[in-house]
Amino acid sequence: MFKNEEMEINLGPQHPSTHGVLRVKLRLDGETVTHCRPMIGYLHRGVEKICENQSFFQGQVWTDRMDYCSAVANNLGWAEANEKLLGITVPRRAQYIRTLLNEFNRIASHLIWLGTHAMDIGALTVFLYAFREREDVLDINEAFCGSRLTTTAFRIGGLREDLPPGFEKMVRKFLAKFSDCLEEYEALLTENRIWKKRTIGVARLSAEDAIALGVTGPMLRAAGVAYDIRKAFPYAAYEEMDFEVPTRTEADTYARYQVRMAEMRQSARIIQQCMDGMPEGPVMAKLPKILRSEVNEVYHATESPKGEIGYYLVGEKGSLNPYRFHVRAPGFINLQSLPKMAEGGLIADVVAAIGSLDIVLGEIDR
Amino acid sequence: MSEPNVPQAPEAAEVPAGPYVYDYKAAPYRQIAMPKTVPLPSHRAYVAEQKAAAEADEAKWQKTLADYETAKAKAEAEGKDAPKPPVRPVPRKDDNDMKPPVPQEATDADLLKLKELLGDKVEEIFEQAGELVCQVKKEAIHEALAFCRDEAALKYEMLADQSATHYPAAKDYACSVVYHLTSISRRKRLRLRILVPEGFAPESACSLYPSANWMEREIYDMLGIRFQNHPDMTRILCPEDWEGYPLRKDYPTVGWGQRDIAFREDRGGMLERIALQKAGQLGINLKQPKAD
Repeated sequence: MFKNEEMEINLGPQHPSTHGVLRVKLRLDGETVTHCRPMIGYLHRGVEKICENQSFFQGQVWTDRMDYCSAVANNLGWAEANEKLLGITVPRRAQYIRTLLNEFNRIASHLIWLGTHAMDIGALTVFLYAFREREDVLDINEAFCGSRLTTTAFRIGGLREDLPPGFEKMVRKFLAKFSDCLEEYEALLTENRIWKKRTIGVARLSAEDAIALGVTGPMLRAAGVAYDIRKAFPYAAYEEMDFEVPTRTEADTYARYQVRMAEMRQSARIIQQCMDGMPEGPVMAKLPKILRSEVNEVYHATESPKGEIGYYLVGEKGSLNPYRFHVRAPGFINLQSLPKMAEGGLIADVVAAIGSLDIVLGEIDR
Repeated sequence: MSEPNVPQAPEAAEVPAGPYVYDYKAAPYRQIAMPKTVPLPSHRAYVAEQKAAAEADEAKWQKTLADYETAKAKAEAEGKDAPKPPVRPVPRKDDNDMKPPVPQEATDADLLKLKELLGDKVEEIFEQAGELVCQVKKEAIHEALAFCRDEAALKYEMLADQSATHYPAAKDYACSVVYHLTSISRRKRLRLRILVPEGFAPESACSLYPSANWMEREIYDMLGIRFQNHPDMTRILCPEDWEGYPLRKDYPTVGWGQRDIAFREDRGGMLERIALQKAGQLGINLKQPKAD
């Protein structure tokens, strides 16, 4: 009689396909995963505690360093949460520029995801193509704020500087070639037999499970729920933008790939509209020199490339720093769904599931 | 003959006995500044505060008027010129784009519905900065969450975020726990809030919203609030043997486990020593040449 023995192994913490320092404890029956437990905290730096002890302005540099792939999106959520707490109205031109940079960031983040996820599964070529275009986005970041990765792009109340000269030309040049680039990636993957075999039907997460587990972002939209905070609770200049929320109903890794590819097209559309309809005017609200809050608590959520990033701030009367600074990191909540996706599947598909989550551990551990 | 100049042996450094205890006097910059106020937004408290401020303002004005009357009577009696009549100060208006939001009375249908469903288990409902807040009794949180999820008129399907705040200056509670609910179908957000005293374990939300699992573990890890009937109440971000709860206000920001070197006082001297040592290794004389 053949005797099954369960084996317990650790995936990570130092495994290249875990996108950071993630440790997943797996129990295996042959090659089938019977139990999966993600263990996090290896990158815990106490960002919340640090931000509570710094002034309202100083928190921004920490939001860059949480999720270094989507620094601008983190900055935007942080800036808007602080503006909500302090009751600041931001000029319209600043809103447009914020929207534009945020969409560029979405493209850059999705390109990193595409390259690394395809590489995890075994398609090495796409990585080089995706990073070629990401370099252009980073150049645009650099032209705007002097920094490529940790942008610290915004200020409370607007922007520090207006767009630099020659910025529009860079954006138009990028937009002119980007849809061709997307077709290039899709030519490499969409009908690729190996890619389809590794992704179709792998790591399913139904809409009910996704909502119950708080999963947001492309993961939720690939399950057929058209929940996008840009549409549901519009912020920045998204109310004036014309774009679609791409959804799929298959809820597997391939559907998530399709959703993210479609999202990049929509992002390019939004950038085009921002550039065409850019209003004139100031980019910074008129503010007192020192910002002091009243007793107030706010929760502000924005749509980061990974999902819903929320900032919960509590203000103390007359204080220069937030009394409480809490980040609802999309990766932290989304990672909870890994056992649901991995259990019952093959061990090789755990890597696909982790890739399709699009996590950055710096943000999960904070 | 005098004794040869023998250098004294350095005294052995004292080894601290027992567990490491902070000496805040030795490192004054590590003092924890404990909060003195309780920044818990509340419409009731705000109204009371505004009323008290208006009354104090009025009392001050009446006193100014009375002082003026006595001064005037005194001046008349002494035959001097009458003093100038006082002018009531007008509050200064700031001309900028910053208008901090204040708590307002609840008008939203969801809050009124919750109040109707839960009755006197609701402690307070109000709106602030466009957000709906409902504070319920700490024992009734599970019931409130169940209503929010299942009631057809509410239908908050997702628990987007759960967090807690430490209020050491408060008298009858230690922490607040907030639940941020999202209704995807109705495009609404709601904040439920409970106030928990030290040692109280609120009912876990895991059976209603599985997403609460890690968030409650994080709250336990960071603030030390345990949740009842939680499937796995362990630390999540810190190691299992970590002491203390980092996001409490009495937890220091500097120096937990660091070597006790007074860097700030010593920094200038230390840098100088290092520079001289490096220069000496390279054969450079950094010291000022003697004047002839």
